[in-house]
Amino acid sequence: MTVIEQPGPLLKRFAARPALLGSLLAVAFAALVGLVLIASIGVSVPDAISAFVDGTVGSPYSIAASINRSLAFALVGFGFILANRANLTNVGGEGQIAVGGIAATAVALYGHVSGLPFGLSFLLPMLAAVVVGAAWGALAAVMKVKAGTNEVISTLLLSFIGVWLLYWCVQSPALLRKPMTTSATLPESLEIPDATKLPLLSGDYSFPLHIGLPLTVVIAVVVAVLLSKTVFGLRLRAVGLNPVAANRAGISYARTVVFALASAGALGGLAGALMLLGEQYTLKDGFSSGYGFDGLVAGLLARGSVTGVIAAALLFGFMRSGGINMEMVAAVPTALVVVIQGLIVITLAGATLFIEKWERP
Amino acid sequence: MSWELFAVFLGSSIRLATPLLLAGIGEMVSERAGVLNMSIEGMMLTSAFAAAVGSWATGDPLLGLLLGILAVQPIALLQAVLSNTLRANQIVSGIGINILVLGATTLAYREIFGARSRAEIPGLVKIRPPLLGDIPVFGTAVFEQVWLFYAGIIIIAITALVLRYTSVGLAVHAAGAEPKAVDKSGLSVTRIRYAAVLFAGFMASLAGAFLSIGDIHTFTEGMTRGAGYLAIASVIFGKWRIGGTVLACLLFGAATALQFQLPAMGISVPNALLIMLPYLLALMAVGGLVGRQMAPATLGEAYRR
Repeated sequence: MTVIEQPGPLLKRFAARPALLGSLLAVAFAALVGLVLIASIGVSVPDAISAFVDGTVGSPYSIAASINRSLAFALVGFGFILANRANLTNVGGEGQIAVGGIAATAVALYGHVSGLPFGLSFLLPMLAAVVVGAAWGALAAVMKVKAGTNEVISTLLLSFIGVWLLYWCVQSPALLRKPMTTSATLPESLEIPDATKLPLLSGDYSFPLHIGLPLTVVIAVVVAVLLSKTVFGLRLRAVGLNPVAANRAGISYARTVVFALASAGALGGLAGALMLLGEQYTLKDGFSSGYGFDGLVAGLLARGSVTGVIAAALLFGFMRSGGINMEMVAAVPTALVVVIQGLIVITLAGATLFIEKWERP
Repeated sequence: MSWELFAVFLGSSIRLATPLLLAGIGEMVSERAGVLNMSIEGMMLTSAFAAAVGSWATGDPLLGLLLGILAVQPIALLQAVLSNTLRANQIVSGIGINILVLGATTLAYREIFGARSRAEIPGLVKIRPPLLGDIPVFGTAVFEQVWLFYAGIIIIAITALVLRYTSVGLAVHAAGAEPKAVDKSGLSVTRIRYAAVLFAGFMASLAGAFLSIGDIHTFTEGMTRGAGYLAIASVIFGKWRIGGTVLACLLFGAATALQFQLPAMGISVPNALLIMLPYLLALMAVGGLVGRQMAPATLGEAYRR
């Protein structure tokens, strides 16, 4: 059975890129369902759309906030496709963001870094987040290599543990909770010192794009080159395709798996650091909520391509901002955005068979 | 620890283990047949929501339970179609279903309950079986449980017998271990796997209903909080055997019960550590405390003739 025998004129242009077309169709289908849902809960669709647009590109502030959001999704997504090249599925983004945020906060507040020159004041907290995130990811890798534990279940469980660690850190005055002056003291950390906050590109809070953006662009290039142009990328692919054959060819399975999952964890940790040092400034329970899964979905949608991750991350960043504004202005619950994301993932998962048949008839 | 306190601890361990037991046994059958359902979490959440709505709207928790069971079957069918017919990545499709359900139940909850959140919902009744229930100290504290727990025990016992002694059990096991042989013998691997996923959905729906109308008589957004993933971990911990899975679930239930037990005994341990404990145990379990794992040979792979 061939899926498309005679591509129509409109499809012809996309015929060479079935994966791209598939992703676009999935997003369009999910968005359509979203519109129907908005109408069915009795909200005017034009009102909802205008609130959505206002929240995404309505002001310089909303544009910058949406892009800042996308950075975390993109980093987790890069980690996902990197590990996925070795046929590993990292579902631990949520926990990796959480432990990254904890590490960044701890160093920013108590690491005596504010006086350091050359941006070390914010680079060291970021580095701490990367190291802790990498360790979190490597743990799942070691379990896979030593005991054959499926990394899906271990990264998921590690996610729950990371999220509860975060809760612990902000609840306990012995850890990162700010000193309790009254019983009404909120369970959150102190605000990090100004010197440890990420510098804004414009220097102005009305357009709060921070240096996480150029950093993420650099990382995108590094990941793209690593995957397509280096021996290491080839090793990942070899291990992913056939671990036994790769081992025979002298590629260490264990080392490759550890490196792949540690890199994914490091990028997740960095995402947590950017969120904390770049926009939130105080550590709160649930600050990572949903970001890890959105990043995972961005990685899934991208089907292995770095540009795909960037596109999906931007889509989700703007969708989240738009969704938040829809809730505030048009009383459409943000859960609607979650429904749309779930539909995108399911549609794409179900379409894989057709896309692959189309690519390799 | 006094005997009274110990009895309360046992009773709450059983109560907290029940949803894991129900969902875990269903998932074990499905994994034996070769299909991994990451969507157990979403199935449980669907049923928790539908059962709460049904019980609240009709005033009859039995109708709530029925609605919960019915609401999950389409989702189980979706998972079965994705895993078997469309040969989708089972992990990805399961997580997609979980995201969808989390969004959809949250949305529907706000629409239906709105400001009347925490509405009083009629729940399933508790029963105290004769003999066991008459044991001094322990009778009431341990054995007075929601009837769904006892129904679950019976279903689990029947499942164990069917898997062990019947051709159906053999077919399920073979569909996961040697699908080609099943195919050659004239049975349909696809049909067996569809049935196994639908059964997992049925068990997950009992588990979800237990959470909302059996245990706490209310629905909260995302109330499963990872219980579905714990159920999957218990299958791995239990080495894909009924007895092992049941023990793993009881262990996770006891670990959860410590949250309430230790403070009652005046032992102060950080609350977060206790909430984390079942997940930590599960991680250690899947990470090799149980030795090298013996998963069904074709677990997670779609069958191609």
